Amino acid sequence: MKNPEEVVQRLDAVDYLADEGLAMAVFLALRLGKPLLLEGEPGVGKTAAAKALAQALDTPFLRLQCYEGLTAGEALYEWNYQRQLLHIRLGLASDDASLFSEDFLLERPILRAVRHDGPTPPVLLIDEIDRADDEFEALLFEFLGEAAVTVPELGTFAATRPPIVVLTSNRSRDLHDALRRRCLYHWIDFPPPAQVAAIVRRAVPEASAPLIRDTTEFIGRVRTLDLDKAPGLAETIDWVSALAALGATELVAGDTLRTLGTIAKTPDDRLTIAAAVPQESSP
Amino acid sequence: MLLRGTDRAAFAVAFVARLRRAGLRVGITETDDLVRALAVSPPTSRTVLYWTARVSLVRRHDDLAVFDRVFATVFDDTPPLPLSRSALPPKSRENSVHVAVPGTGGETATEGEGLPWATLPAAVAADDESADDGLGLPELQPSALAALADVPFEELDQAQTEALGAALRAALTHWPQRRGRRHRTDPAGRRVALRPTIARARRTGWEAITVVRERPVPRPRRVVMLCDVSESMRAQAAAYLQLMRAFTTVADAEVFAFATRLTRLTVPLRHTSTREAIDQAGAAVDDRFGGTRIAGNITALLDSHHGDTVRGGVVIVASDGWDSDPPEAMAAAMARLRRRAYRVLWLNPRAGTPGWTPKVGGMAAALPFCDRLLPAATFTDLTEAVHHLRDLSRPASFRSSPAR
Repeated sequence: MKNPEEVVQRLDAVDYLADEGLAMAVFLALRLGKPLLLEGEPGVGKTAAAKALAQALDTPFLRLQCYEGLTAGEALYEWNYQRQLLHIRLGLASDDASLFSEDFLLERPILRAVRHDGPTPPVLLIDEIDRADDEFEALLFEFLGEAAVTVPELGTFAATRPPIVVLTSNRSRDLHDALRRRCLYHWIDFPPPAQVAAIVRRAVPEASAPLIRDTTEFIGRVRTLDLDKAPGLAETIDWVSALAALGATELVAGDTLRTLGTIAKTPDDRLTIAAAVPQESSP
Repeated sequence: MLLRGTDRAAFAVAFVARLRRAGLRVGITETDDLVRALAVSPPTSRTVLYWTARVSLVRRHDDLAVFDRVFATVFDDTPPLPLSRSALPPKSRENSVHVAVPGTGGETATEGEGLPWATLPAAVAADDESADDGLGLPELQPSALAALADVPFEELDQAQTEALGAALRAALTHWPQRRGRRHRTDPAGRRVALRPTIARARRTGWEAITVVRERPVPRPRRVVMLCDVSESMRAQAAAYLQLMRAFTTVADAEVFAFATRLTRLTVPLRHTSTREAIDQAGAAVDDRFGGTRIAGNITALLDSHHGDTVRGGVVIVASDGWDSDPPEAMAAAMARLRRRAYRVLWLNPRAGTPGWTPKVGGMAAALPFCDRLLPAATFTDLTEAVHHLRDLSRPASFRSSPAR
């Protein structure tokens, strides 16, 4: 990709509408070969951006979902112990080299990204890195800095073409500065209503224009209410899909109440949003 | 095209220097990124330059506001605006001015101003016993600490408060724990650890004779403390600040102060120097000794991105329960907090008074959602509260009273 405008076009072609900031972030990440750290409120399209990027570049998409207790065994590589034991049983284990060879190496997402052998580097999404414990961040440093993974028994695997790495975080925990330093950073803001409408139109092509206009307007109002969890883009898309599935062509109070579960995710929010419906939505 | 004929490196370094002066931590890596980014993405417009610089220089959301301001100062023709962060070096605060704090009784002697936090001794109470040894003691001996432990906070001076804060830190040896998802080899473990077993088998001709076992490593639970710094809590605020500092320095904790709005104090209180930490915390809170909005602030915490820190953690609210929000709001906020947290403790400075009952609307509304209501008027009380933390990690059957 030659410039940020091309990034916008290529992502647009796979139905992901990127704004100028995100396009610049993606462009620089690709050109400088650095990982990209995306933050933003939940449901704003962080994960979708990585997926769309893989689709736009037509390369494999690898995903590592982070969770507490994630270790090298799940993220980098693991030895296939069962096969090793069988190998021993069969009396074939003559020395270390035969047991700890590539035959017994199980690739996990990061090592798979490093060893990927194809015309284009894969996109590796390290999703919700803040959910992994902070010890795990240190495991990533070698990979993020050098695009290499060291397996003590075998040596260092370095990527011929560094994979495109996207990390996402919901800021539930402060990430270490050393991790931030190795990445480019972009904060995805919640898009303005016109952009929301455009995104929803792409995501739910079967929805009618008046329906999309009314729903995005309503979501804009709902987001100003005092809610436990303000509906994000993902919820808006779900809601419009639900309304479209019901055959609605414009927003009416009855449909809104029936499909409230797509945008209100706690009992309190349900009440608050329901109270905002009758007098505010168009009849 | 902007910046035609400019030395990119010189420009980047100069701009970074501006950002650093504004208090942003921008290092060599980021500067290098900017130089390389400018090479691949020539700044054709102000917006392009903005995004190039922002993506390559800023690494955290909190820094965006400062970055935007510095960027605007440099590239707009606007006069420089005062910067909020680090504009005032905390050292410039006057430490020696003491404020006399109204005690619980009638004596209200207010003189001087400027201490970041409340502490101090009602001058009247200090007079009779410590007139001759007051300033002469640089360091408090354990026996002196023991004597101070039962003195109400409003009768302690700053040095005494700090000494007791240190004692509190030392007392924090037990931390509530939960089962973690990481494993460690342990002969008493239940799970077979394959990797070490195979490594061990090497000694016996690859025959796995010794089976190595592993068990989960317990992890400390996060402690989240919310401290009321409103007018009615003036006397206790300094002591509670010491408790919060003890939490942040000893282990994983998030601490907040609130009166009318919520301020996160985790970072300032982690400072290695106690005095500096307390001063920085004082500078960070700009609504102290105002009114109180307990329910509003609890909701604000749950709604913010720190809301997830409460999940599975022990929440300690330190307040007297005087709330300007209605009790229904308090009940709703506490119900949400209770659902998300593992345990909720409430420290109330009045609770130790004989004959005290939670009559205040806010306190009465919050009580059903608290696992414990603990008195917190003296350092003995705070030490007790710290010991309660240890009890929390035990199974429910060992605790003295049922949690829910």
